[in-house]
Amino acid sequence: MVAGDQSDPADVLILGGGPAGYVCALRAAQNGRAVTLVERARVGGVCLTEGCIPSKHLAVFAAAKSSAERFASAGMPALAGGPDLGAFQTRRSAAIDGLVKGVAGLLAAAGVNVVQGNAWFVGRTRVCVATGEESVRYFDFKDVVIATGSCAVPMPGLPFDAERVVEPSRALEWTSGPRTLLVAGDDYVSLELGVAFARLGSRVVIATRGDRLLPDFDADISQAAERGAGSAGIEVALARDAASIASGFERVIVSAGRAPNVGDLHLNAAGLSSATGPLVVDDHLRVERHVYAIGDVTGAPLLAHRAMAQGRIAGDILGGKAAAMDVHAVPRVVFAEPEFAAVGPSEADAREAGVEVVIGRFPLAALGRAVIELSTSGFAKLMFARESGVIVAAHLAGPRATELIAEMALAIEMGATSEDLALTMHAHPTFAESTMEAAEIALGIPIHVRAPKR
Amino acid sequence: MARFEFRLPDIGEGLAEAEVAKWLVSVGDRVSEDQPVVEMMTDKATVELPAPGAGLVVEQRAAEGDVIKTGAVLYVLETDGQIGVTAPAAPETHAPPPAVAMSVASTGVLAPPAVRKLARELSVDLTRVKGSGPGGRISAEDVQRHATASAPASVPAAQTAVGGRHTRLRGVQKRMAETMALSARTIPHVTGFHEVDAAGFVELASHLRRAAEGGERRFPFDTLLVRAASLALKQHPIFNSSLDEGAGEIVTHDDINIGVATATREGLIVPVVKKADTLELEALASEVDRVTTAAREGKSVLVDLQGGTFTISNTGAWHGGFGTSLIRPPEVAIVAFGKVEERAVVRDGQVVARPIMPMSVTFDHRVIDGEQGLKFALTLRGLIEDPGELEP
Repeated sequence: MVAGDQSDPADVLILGGGPAGYVCALRAAQNGRAVTLVERARVGGVCLTEGCIPSKHLAVFAAAKSSAERFASAGMPALAGGPDLGAFQTRRSAAIDGLVKGVAGLLAAAGVNVVQGNAWFVGRTRVCVATGEESVRYFDFKDVVIATGSCAVPMPGLPFDAERVVEPSRALEWTSGPRTLLVAGDDYVSLELGVAFARLGSRVVIATRGDRLLPDFDADISQAAERGAGSAGIEVALARDAASIASGFERVIVSAGRAPNVGDLHLNAAGLSSATGPLVVDDHLRVERHVYAIGDVTGAPLLAHRAMAQGRIAGDILGGKAAAMDVHAVPRVVFAEPEFAAVGPSEADAREAGVEVVIGRFPLAALGRAVIELSTSGFAKLMFARESGVIVAAHLAGPRATELIAEMALAIEMGATSEDLALTMHAHPTFAESTMEAAEIALGIPIHVRAPKR
Repeated sequence: MARFEFRLPDIGEGLAEAEVAKWLVSVGDRVSEDQPVVEMMTDKATVELPAPGAGLVVEQRAAEGDVIKTGAVLYVLETDGQIGVTAPAAPETHAPPPAVAMSVASTGVLAPPAVRKLARELSVDLTRVKGSGPGGRISAEDVQRHATASAPASVPAAQTAVGGRHTRLRGVQKRMAETMALSARTIPHVTGFHEVDAAGFVELASHLRRAAEGGERRFPFDTLLVRAASLALKQHPIFNSSLDEGAGEIVTHDDINIGVATATREGLIVPVVKKADTLELEALASEVDRVTTAAREGKSVLVDLQGGTFTISNTGAWHGGFGTSLIRPPEVAIVAFGKVEERAVVRDGQVVARPIMPMSVTFDHRVIDGEQGLKFALTLRGLIEDPGELEP
């Protein structure tokens, strides 16, 4: 490597071009800062190139197949032949290329200087970027934003081998579905991949040491997830060590969580703690006065939309605005069978925190739209503070739950009450009616289900 | 040799930030343990921060005039040895600086995101805003109203067309500007003027002063004024109260904590004599002496600048006569005394010369009415004209 003292000034230096980093870059540039963004691979990050976007692409593809199959009994002709994953992959790559290009275009238009390479700190205000085998560049920053994301961690006894035992993002690149597939894990990634490959024809087993799927969701959602997996043809093996049964499967996907990408940053060179855990930030997303951290590198919840929210806020703070991470509602979504979504605490967590709640739970079996879509398995479960009627949480299971949750997040941010939701007209016939009905149930005035005995 | 990052310690009761007033050393300077390194200015006082150990100053992370958050690194020392854990600096961890209380506190507050954003922009603490909507929901108007009712006035920008020296408003001066503007804007002031015959009072003060000097102590003139005020406040507790507009309550204080307006090089400072009514005269004198001397020397500790419930201002030393004063919110009254001078007054039908002290009693007419105001003034006047009660 060529060592030299030549360096470039960087008003704002952002390390990582994923959903946190690129959003922060765009917002900071909007606010008049001169931004340099360092990305080691492609802008858009894990989310766009190997996470959210491609995994949802696969989930939607698989759902389209199962949707057609569901209507077989209603006269839909049977599909001729299995899905062509090869053709799908071509389309998928094109979609990603298009989106990456879109982000790159936005960055260029905003005047963001994008530098490709691996970055690490060499001083309190200096970062070194390896831009090629033999070349490095130095940047002296005024403010730095660490947005280096996270990476998949292996499961004890099931090391990745890049071929048969893989991390989730590799499975998204398969050009044919395995005959037999073991998914080791209990999180939303495990469930989504399991359901997608099961729908596409694989015999799937999801194995976890735990006692339920989606353990960080409401217990009702976990139950619905297990039932939905079963109806997709998946065998759910609870309290089971995946490693002990892995040998019998053609492919194994391991989803054992993710670790923050901090090890290669040489944080101690910047005078920062070189601990390997997530970076701890304050409400202003600061680690230190001129050091910010956003996205997965700041720890749970590892969600692209939360990373983007942090990116926007950090961009505003860098622009001198009175912004702060002041988010009450963080929605979470699962694209499985059916879809699941949640915002706010689980019923158990709310009770443990001593929040007295009233619950309205509306079953989709009573909803016209669910009947015509042949998808009556699911519910809208809304929780309201007993005293004030203010919405505390929503847990949704059913088609379009991942879209409906946006209304629930808005309700929480606005401090809406059960009456607000019950008195808001919801279009008919839609799945959105389910939340209005759930609010009426909480108020004890339901229309489409029998009133509970009071 | 080790690098030691000196972080701004909490130099007051939970103050979140302080301004770098003056660097007393430069990068490259050697400092010894306890040598003052930097002068920090808070809203209330200027504090010197000593070095936690001997070493070489290798880095200063802030310039004079910069405002630093508590916990942030102020400068870096290459230390000669280990610096003990008892050093005044915060422990060397990378825990984040304390978050702004407002944003933390706003969790659980019933306000939509746009209103929370407005509150951040106007530096309004949402937990202190009464929501006018259903269930106490806070609207943008509520935040605006709260901001105009309590935010410090913005200082009109100086006309750039006119030449002159520009001095940044900061520290004690800035605090004075904010407090006085808030006072003038929010408090309906009423002032009554009273000529007080101070013959006996002056005699008693001289006597006590001489007695104290014999014991090599000091007896500040203000001591007796503080004493008189505390006795009058005991009889008129409404003068020892605060108006809590948010709660819609008048809070009558249990303690009588009297602020003594003190002119200093930096500007007006009001150190407080706590529980003034409970102190014996000798203890009161030494406490008045302690807090005012510290204020004049710029060495006040923050706790002595907080918690006042009433203020006296003695302008006699500067030949002050009658004058109005501005009440220091959230207090509801202030008394100013002028210089004692011989005046022609009528006694028993004869014009005679008497030592007269001008006294101006100013009160907040939202809390105190005219009759209460006059009664308090009469009590105070009686205590000064017939000072027997002032001496135990």
